[in-house]
Amino acid sequence: MEAIVVEDLRKHYGAVQAVDGIGFEVQCGEVFGLLGPNGAGKTTTIEMMEGYRTPDSGGVSVLGLHPRQDEYELKERIGILLQETALYHDLKLSELLRLFASYYRSSVNTERLLEMIGLQEKRGAFVRELSGGQRQRAAIALALINDPELVYLDEPTAGLDPQSRRATWNWIGRARDEGKTVFLTTHYIDEAEEVCDRVAIMDHGRIIALDTPRRLMAGLEIERRIEFVVGGVLDPTILESLPGITKARSEGDGAYTIYAPEAHVALKTLLAQADEQGFALKGLSVEGATLEDVFIRLTGRRIRA
Amino acid sequence: MKKLLYVAANEVLLLVKDKMAVVWMVVLPLGITVIAGFAFGGFGGGSEELVIDLPVVDRDGGEMASAVLDVLSQAENLRVETEYDQEGARQLVVGGKRAGAVVIPSGFSSAVSSGQPTALELIIAPGGETGPLLAGMVREVTGGFSDVQIAVEVAISEVQRATGSHDLDYDAIATRTAAAVRDRLADPPVRAEVTTVGSSGDEGYDVFDQAVPGYAVMFAMFAVLSAAGGILEEKERGTLKRLLIAPVPKSSLLGGKLLAQFVTGVAQVVLMFTFGALVCGVDLGASLPGLLLITLATCWATTSLGVLLIAVIKSRKQVHPITTLVILGSSAIGGAWFPLFLMPEAVQRVARITLVAWAMDGYNRLIILGGSLQDVWVDIGVLLLYGAVCFSVGLKLFKFKEA
Repeated sequence: MEAIVVEDLRKHYGAVQAVDGIGFEVQCGEVFGLLGPNGAGKTTTIEMMEGYRTPDSGGVSVLGLHPRQDEYELKERIGILLQETALYHDLKLSELLRLFASYYRSSVNTERLLEMIGLQEKRGAFVRELSGGQRQRAAIALALINDPELVYLDEPTAGLDPQSRRATWNWIGRARDEGKTVFLTTHYIDEAEEVCDRVAIMDHGRIIALDTPRRLMAGLEIERRIEFVVGGVLDPTILESLPGITKARSEGDGAYTIYAPEAHVALKTLLAQADEQGFALKGLSVEGATLEDVFIRLTGRRIRA
Repeated sequence: MKKLLYVAANEVLLLVKDKMAVVWMVVLPLGITVIAGFAFGGFGGGSEELVIDLPVVDRDGGEMASAVLDVLSQAENLRVETEYDQEGARQLVVGGKRAGAVVIPSGFSSAVSSGQPTALELIIAPGGETGPLLAGMVREVTGGFSDVQIAVEVAISEVQRATGSHDLDYDAIATRTAAAVRDRLADPPVRAEVTTVGSSGDEGYDVFDQAVPGYAVMFAMFAVLSAAGGILEEKERGTLKRLLIAPVPKSSLLGGKLLAQFVTGVAQVVLMFTFGALVCGVDLGASLPGLLLITLATCWATTSLGVLLIAVIKSRKQVHPITTLVILGSSAIGGAWFPLFLMPEAVQRVARITLVAWAMDGYNRLIILGGSLQDVWVDIGVLLLYGAVCFSVGLKLFKFKEA
């Protein structure tokens, strides 16, 4: 069953076509990511799906409701984390949660929510006293205050420290386990790969690819990069002559990088060569394709250029 | 409605938590009111009346000139000074040391006695507050002498017509007639008995009777318009967007914020009046319902003006200069600092475009003149209408988000 259906959605600001005829469906209970560089049109898209902005044309259906015509009914059933979280700094965290809980027909227990986001001990602290990561967790708590069926997360980990990012990803996993649908925008490759069931890659207002991260990456015929260190000296040209290896490069201090279309073929050759010549391979690592590679292949640019 | 009240409660909660706002809304208005009261003569005499020093130059020296001096000396609000010559009196006015001076021209007495036109000369500085008041007082005096002059002319004419003689001693007749008319006018057969209702009538005008409502209105405007500016601030900071995410109708969102501003404004005015009554000895008049209604109408108009301003003003940076200009400008000409009736007529007419003028007119009628609710219906009505117009236009123009 679809939680979100988007059809030929368009929005422009002056001469800029921010969203240019996109369409996709998000299934209930799915974590769906919209990946793209800044300015790709992700926030405009999510804001039209939230009902905050009116599209120029196209259709959006969220939980079977129209974001504008059924605005208040829909707001009761969704949660939203904004890209830039602005909170009332002069309120205590518990007051903030109670305030927003009062705006909904039903809400979850604020103590349970504080426990879930790991800020029980901060319930009496003023918002202005919280760290950036703690404020982001407070904003997530606000997005969950009404126990929503669907949660929109606009760049949920932008600017957060690694620990807070990991905590946010864990929470997204828990939300999926509870059967919630999560729609997020991000420009972090690892985030999209780590938490999303499916990813739509967006650039210049258009969706240029949409699938599971694994299938998107597998679809690329990209050479794997294999790195290793040896005790002696190897000739890169000899390495390049071996079967399954297309390119080899010395990085200095016994470190080498080789490129291969099929990692398992190259590794087999490399291990046989090491055995034959009597050198030990240390620090062996294989780097596969990433969503960044997918984006580069499709646009010729890096996402975070 | 429930959500509107939640939004309003949140606004009040946020306001209470803002210590600077409390200073701005409570400490500052009370402090400024007391300072202004001292500056304009409050406390010193308690209920001491306003007295204006008035140099009078007698260039005539006749009987009628003495009569003018007597009349002016008997005026409750004037202290007549006769020690200056015409140039000295003029210099005092030019130098701003006196609000005005009166010159009795030579030949004044004989002109009045013989029924010839004459005039008292009043020198006042332009733009002063007490100048028009003086002009009114002097006109009253000259009006009295004109009555005498007309009576003398009519009497002489009637005598000439009845006797057909031009040989009589008409100067003597004129002098005696003028004296008799003056005596009779001093004790007229028909006169108006003026009864001042309310308790403030016999206590006179205290500067705090003006300062407390004046500064209450001005600072209520500061509080309300500053809170209205807060909506723009929320818009720019993003907290308004966070509120718009919640299922709160926009009307409840804005309505709740405005309700909080309205309540805040009323609370501030009530606090100011309570302080004024308890500490400054302001007599609140005989009509507390009138005082309450004019306060509610004033705060409604102020809140609505706030809606209009935030709908028109595009950024937070513009809020303070524009609202300060509006508040100080309308307070200055609207009678918040000085009674409106002391202003030149032209200023009084222009002042009617400000809500302060209508509010102060109402407060002055109730507090200074001891009027009743019936005396301020027009002020209340105008303020309600003023608010309704500002509110409707502001609501139509206000945008919750940028396109």
